[in-house]
Amino acid sequence: MNGLRQMWRVACYEWFDALRSRRALVVLLLYMATALCNMHWSINLLHKLESELATALQLPQSESTGVVSTALWKSKPFQRIMRQMTQNDAVLRDITGKHPVELIYAWFAFFYTPLLVVLVAGNRIAEDLGSGAVRYVIFRISRSSWTLGKFLGQTLMIGFALFLSGAGAYAVAKYRLAGSAPPDLFENMLQWSGRAWIFSIPYLGLAMGLSHLTRSASKATVMGIIAITFCFVATILLRHFSADTGWRAYLPHFGMLLPGAHKMCLWRSTPAPLATGSAYLLTLGFCYLLTGYAFFRKRDV
Amino acid sequence: MNPAIETTGLVKRYGTRRALDGLTLAVPRFAVLGLIGPNGAGKTTWMMSVAGFLHIESGQINLLGKGPFAPDVHSGRITILPQDSELPPESRPLELLTHYGLLQGLTRQEAARSAAAMLGEVHLGDRLNAPIRSLSHGMRKRVMIAQCFLGYPEVVLLDEPLSGLDPREVAHMRAFLTKRRGHQTLVISSHNLHDIEVLCDHVAFIEKGRAVRLATLEALLGKASTLVYVLTAEPADYALLTAAVPDASLAFDTASSSLICRYDPHRASPGEINNRLLAALLPQCGVITITRGASLETEYLKNL
Repeated sequence: MNGLRQMWRVACYEWFDALRSRRALVVLLLYMATALCNMHWSINLLHKLESELATALQLPQSESTGVVSTALWKSKPFQRIMRQMTQNDAVLRDITGKHPVELIYAWFAFFYTPLLVVLVAGNRIAEDLGSGAVRYVIFRISRSSWTLGKFLGQTLMIGFALFLSGAGAYAVAKYRLAGSAPPDLFENMLQWSGRAWIFSIPYLGLAMGLSHLTRSASKATVMGIIAITFCFVATILLRHFSADTGWRAYLPHFGMLLPGAHKMCLWRSTPAPLATGSAYLLTLGFCYLLTGYAFFRKRDV
Repeated sequence: MNPAIETTGLVKRYGTRRALDGLTLAVPRFAVLGLIGPNGAGKTTWMMSVAGFLHIESGQINLLGKGPFAPDVHSGRITILPQDSELPPESRPLELLTHYGLLQGLTRQEAARSAAAMLGEVHLGDRLNAPIRSLSHGMRKRVMIAQCFLGYPEVVLLDEPLSGLDPREVAHMRAFLTKRRGHQTLVISSHNLHDIEVLCDHVAFIEKGRAVRLATLEALLGKASTLVYVLTAEPADYALLTAAVPDASLAFDTASSSLICRYDPHRASPGEINNRLLAALLPQCGVITITRGASLETEYLKNL
């Protein structure tokens, strides 16, 4: 109980301190700005696409974006493009009919969250190890409480960033879509932020786990970037080389150790795959973190 | 009474070099112990091992009779001022120390009160909410010292506590630490022998990862049984001096031009010895200073 309380105190202080650190704040603001700009430009693009589609389908032209999205979803070529992009029929079924801006935001959040995580949180532990600040804490609480507290604090920080950018992206969408925004858009955007938050946890575990291995903040960031790049490339390669027979049949099992393998579960609407995927991702996050912690537990500080 | 810190046969290697080579040392409760030794002797390594920062290869540590350092047992009872360790730069002294107080088990009110009081004690009452990064080196050092005394811990390990402070703050800090004598166990590592002499009642000489001597300052310097006279010249007539203090032994150190008088404190008081010896000395030479006991520097150099 005492350990949990101390962990929570470290987490709150970490969150508070991270918000004050200029670097984290700059990255956070950049991420938010990118999310808003992405939404703005995507709506422009969407509007253009819709205009062309409306002309092709001989539908009435509209000034508002998203009005013909229902027709868009019904068109065979668009479905083919989406099937190609998702490579998963179940996901395609679940996202069919959703408003395009929602999906654009979701894609953005899923794609950039790992980078946000590495840039904001990847060096927090290495920084404290390098400066010696950790020495003022670990004679007061256990090393595990410190590590878990830092992790929890950064999780809160990333969640804050994602929900804030979700709300910002909604504001842009609401303004740009004028009256044509669906009533549940805000709720849905926040839901996607929540899913991206879950998706961030294994990357957070990975980046912070690696951060235990070095005293150099910049080295920790570089290691984090290499690690997420590796995860990204390995997921693609494993998917590409997987087959139903022979040794290639085992490749998807290795893929389960990478966050990318569980990403599609977070795109589902049905609770079962969503819960399973989330559980996998949370477990992966803790496993990555605890691997780094196992080294830290034995190291001199 | 159990010692506050008892370390037996500590061994710690950095690569092939043995930083601690079977160091055995016991710090009595409520003692103010000074650790003295050359650079690389193992003083900092010993402190860091005691605080649980370093993993020792062999040996035993017993803190307050409860075994080696464990945060759930010793948190708030043992604190340390580590060397070369920065505080988080964006934090503010008051909130940071309150946070540390909370971590070591104080209530929010106690932590805030203790943090404000300690920062006041180290003359930082007007910089409570200034970012650490905006404080000077000396001010940061004072915040670091203040964090050691949050919640009145039983044992405080201080690695070079006075280095980097201006002379006025050094004097203030000496007074601050002296006040704690007899109430808390302090271990002070310093290269400044004058500081150790003023602050400590016990000293340990550490050489090549071993404790070569542990004694009370009183016994080491012979404060109760030795008078040291720094003279303008060597006395010409020793027979006259010996006759003045027949129960004492006299020796002259030409290097420091000092006459060292050792006497039995049970047979004569230092006042009596001093009066008789001065009466015999002054017709022969001038007396520059008279001190009780040898200087720590002399004793330390003698032990090397």
